[in-house]
Amino acid sequence: MFLLLLKSFLRSRIAVAGIVIVLLAGITGIFIGQQHIRKQQEAIALTEHFQQEHIQRNAQFFDKELGLLLYYLRFSLVNKLHPLNALSIGQRDVNSSIQSLTIRNLEGQKYDTDLFNPSNVLTGNLDMGFVLIYLLPLLIIAFTYSLLSEEKEDGTWRLVATQSKRPVNVLIRKLFVRMITVLMVFAVLLLLATFILSLPVDKLYLAVICLAFIYMLCWFGISFWVISLQRSSSTNAVILLSIWILLTVVLPGVANNFITSRYPVPESMATVVQQREGYHEKWDMEKQPTVDRFYAHYPQFSKYPLPDKQFSWLWYYAMQQMGDDEAAVQVKQLQEKLRLREQSSEYIGYFIPTLHTQQQLNSLAGAGLANQLQFMDSTARFHERMRLYFYPKIFEEAKVKSVDWDMFKVEYFSEEKRVSWGGLLLPLLLVTLVFSVTGWMNFNKRMTAFA
Amino acid sequence: MTVLSAEQLSKQYNGTLALNNLNLSVDKGEVFCLLGQNGAGKTTTINLFLGFTAASSGKAMINGIEVHPNDSSTRQFVAYIPEIVQLYGNLNGIENLDFFSRLAGFKYAGAQLSSFLLKAGLQETAHRRSLSTYSKGMRQKVGIAIALAKNADVILMDEPTSGLDPKATDEFTRICKELAADGKAIFMATHDIFNAVNVGARIGIMKQGSLVHTLHSNEITANELQQLYLETI
Repeated sequence: MFLLLLKSFLRSRIAVAGIVIVLLAGITGIFIGQQHIRKQQEAIALTEHFQQEHIQRNAQFFDKELGLLLYYLRFSLVNKLHPLNALSIGQRDVNSSIQSLTIRNLEGQKYDTDLFNPSNVLTGNLDMGFVLIYLLPLLIIAFTYSLLSEEKEDGTWRLVATQSKRPVNVLIRKLFVRMITVLMVFAVLLLLATFILSLPVDKLYLAVICLAFIYMLCWFGISFWVISLQRSSSTNAVILLSIWILLTVVLPGVANNFITSRYPVPESMATVVQQREGYHEKWDMEKQPTVDRFYAHYPQFSKYPLPDKQFSWLWYYAMQQMGDDEAAVQVKQLQEKLRLREQSSEYIGYFIPTLHTQQQLNSLAGAGLANQLQFMDSTARFHERMRLYFYPKIFEEAKVKSVDWDMFKVEYFSEEKRVSWGGLLLPLLLVTLVFSVTGWMNFNKRMTAFA
Repeated sequence: MTVLSAEQLSKQYNGTLALNNLNLSVDKGEVFCLLGQNGAGKTTTINLFLGFTAASSGKAMINGIEVHPNDSSTRQFVAYIPEIVQLYGNLNGIENLDFFSRLAGFKYAGAQLSSFLLKAGLQETAHRRSLSTYSKGMRQKVGIAIALAKNADVILMDEPTSGLDPKATDEFTRICKELAADGKAIFMATHDIFNAVNVGARIGIMKQGSLVHTLHSNEITANELQQLYLETI
């Protein structure tokens, strides 16, 4: 029976057209992901290549003063890309994967990133994540909206209901055929992606498969519930498309609006202003108070007195340090707010399957806000380590040649990813269960009016 | 032996009496034809025997089992041939027969399926043809083959000859007689008076939900039946 149902389904033009369209979109998504990864990898390779060249050239040019040389020198930290990022680009095409920093004040440099194409931000990316979250539900809707109504409208249902002891089982089988078809389409795409993008088959990969599978199951659950209402095909289509719009556009938009208004971040602007003023106003102030505050931050450097001359690197880097120190409160508040935003959207996502899947997919692919926040923390630690290494050498007026510049290779940040299976799958499973059970109850309640 | 019976069977839809106190029985090997105008209650009667709707009062029985609430049990004894046998357009004739047989719990080999279609009068060349090339008569034959494959004790037919050409109607009548000879009880709702006399052992005339007359076909000619029918409705 399964084969006959499959044959009947796959012989329909709508099914073939839907499968072909989603496969084409998926393949396009794979290549867009590949292009994204390649672009990022090229930038990282260039950074690796040019960091050494940049250091050597500047060390030759500014070979007299270490302080002056370090005004120019940039050291890079790379937010390592997980291959899964090709499946879900998330924010990684907007947030730079490379931070090239001098030891001057950090806050002024954090957002001096490379340019990105603003039109990408507007439209988002047609990656596999998009295909999974937006297009596959449409395919599921197209395949299921008339599962029962079409039979009733065409007149086959009376015969089905007469022949079968439990006609609802026929619906379940038909739904299963469509489910297998959609899963096969996704499996083909995933297989292609695994091959083309050289995805490692590991725990994260398995998590992506489970997430995608349950997400699709969730949409089948929703469809089953709508079918159980036993309305006409056109009414079912309208209901399902309304749910799609609600879940993919309206609710995520409302959630985003709620979160941004609940946790406004005026600190982002205040940080910029504060760090600029913290640094720039020191030019017009007495040097000693600036240096004293620097000593207060780093008592270990109080052994280096302020030289009695118009300009000294101790004073200059103390000024730079003040930019960061005076913006520290705003920076902390900003980070706290961003974490709250991340947390809130995660909680809200538990009730919105599309949002949840997007967040989890981004998280698994290292393409979400959490990854960016961790990268920023790592950037701050990296910057601090560089400062602490060079400050004493600058203050002691060490020779440029005394530093082994070859040891300053590009460094990498790699997010430690743990898969919380419950948090990943449970919200979707619950939604699936609620809709499926309610649908089942509807069918049982209205069995006599079935035909 | 009675396989299909109605005992004081009534059905109301939103206060309107669609079927009023129906009493009838159909024996094994008997063809019972039910005549009546549109809205007389013929299809309601069939729906009650199929378990598609529950009776307001009285009993609809198949093989001595009350249909409601045992419709999932009684359906195994019933085959149904509607006015237009609607089948799956993406499956051919033999595949449709295979599908509906499997629904009823029967798995037949290709040759067996073909033999059912042949017995129903569908030529072999049509068995694997696209359903879009099927006429109404050919679809009816697939419907009969489905009933044959189910080997049901009761065959309920809802205006099965409506829209069939005379030759197809004649062929359908022949098949009905063969089914009755095989021991099937046939309950047919129809407008076709001549066919009713030709195929039916007994004929009932319904009016506004009530069975007004029950006659033996050997006691009346088609013309007399037509006269009685016109006077009744």
